[in-house]
Amino acid sequence: MGIGPSTKETTKHHFKDPLMELLGEDKDCRPVGVVVAGIAANFESKEYIVQRLATWVSALKPDGVLVSMDSWGNSHLDFNLLLEQLSSLKIPVVGLSFEGVQAEPVTLNSSQAKVIDINKSAEGRETEVLGENNTNIQDARKALAMLKLLRKQ
Amino acid sequence: MALKAEVLSKRLVIKVYHIEKVEMAQVTEFKGSTLLLRDQFLSGHISDQPLVSNLEVAILKPGQFQKEVPAILDVIPIACKALGKMGEGITHTLTGVCAVLTVADAGGKPPAQIGSSKGLLSEKMFIDRAGTPSKNDHIILLRVTLKEDAIFKRQGIIAAHRVADSYLQVIRNQLKKRDSQAYTEKHVYLDQLEPGKIEVLLIKLLPGQGAMHDFLVLPKEPCGVAGSSSIIDLGNMPVFLTPNEYRDGALRALT
Repeated sequence: MGIGPSTKETTKHHFKDPLMELLGEDKDCRPVGVVVAGIAANFESKEYIVQRLATWVSALKPDGVLVSMDSWGNSHLDFNLLLEQLSSLKIPVVGLSFEGVQAEPVTLNSSQAKVIDINKSAEGRETEVLGENNTNIQDARKALAMLKLLRKQ
Repeated sequence: MALKAEVLSKRLVIKVYHIEKVEMAQVTEFKGSTLLLRDQFLSGHISDQPLVSNLEVAILKPGQFQKEVPAILDVIPIACKALGKMGEGITHTLTGVCAVLTVADAGGKPPAQIGSSKGLLSEKMFIDRAGTPSKNDHIILLRVTLKEDAIFKRQGIIAAHRVADSYLQVIRNQLKKRDSQAYTEKHVYLDQLEPGKIEVLLIKLLPGQGAMHDFLVLPKEPCGVAGSSSIIDLGNMPVFLTPNEYRDGALRALT
């Protein structure tokens, strides 16, 4: 799960994931599936896992990809690497992660992918309040709208 | 072709049973919209977990969350397979109640890395997010106490989840038997091709780095522990879930 309580995605969050609820309801879209992957500790594994994810996406050829991350800090290495790899496949991709002011990524996203900051706290920090900085339905709507726009570009 | 048609016609039905009241009793069972919970003989749930020293259960009524709690490990919906496997068949689930799992060692130390949710529940939990209880929910508060330094070990955290799973399984076993027509809501999810629609893949990157950073995939029961695999044990490699498996509680978060 998450690095701190406010970004932590609980089992209930996965069961009622706003991203999946929206994809199921949206009249233009169909969810193809959910690929879950762990964020490893060492860089070699991070690169390897991202490469495998990109291979799957390349084989599945979806019309768009949403990448959601429950973590921050060195995990933004995995996140940005994945966004870059997917963008290089010319597949529209939108990422969702916590940044605020505390978790500005250590590497910058140099790809065409769009990123939504799911921070909700006024101070932009890990507030230690469970669920406060979780993806909600507004984030999901924003992400899907961006994905639809990217497809038109 | 026949196989393809069969695969694509899989459907998942989720029947929702709303709970108005949760009370302690001699036996765990449902009486209409009341959930009765056995509050005795809890030692049976920890007897095969050598790292766990105690389990306590409390019921918090809706809105009455002014309770001091150890670190929150998880918020767990109560759901079970009534028919079929994960992602297909029939699932029964409850609204109006969910479980909150907390953990500490005998001295009250939390397993925190950056910050901790230890404190007053009403201040440490943002109400009404997808992953947290709503203001109208009852909370079954599970307090697991771990022995010695198990609080910082991966096996200690997993043991706390196994104890919670064992306790909730007693409720699930009763939930399976509920009248199949007495539900309050019914949701049907078909797994079928819809030509012309934008096909969207969801990728979830979740920490797989140790005790506080792990998750389980594909348990036997929705949102459960038994029968699942840890993503760390799977080398953090990508696992594919159908939308219906994901909707059916195929992921269990460990913290």
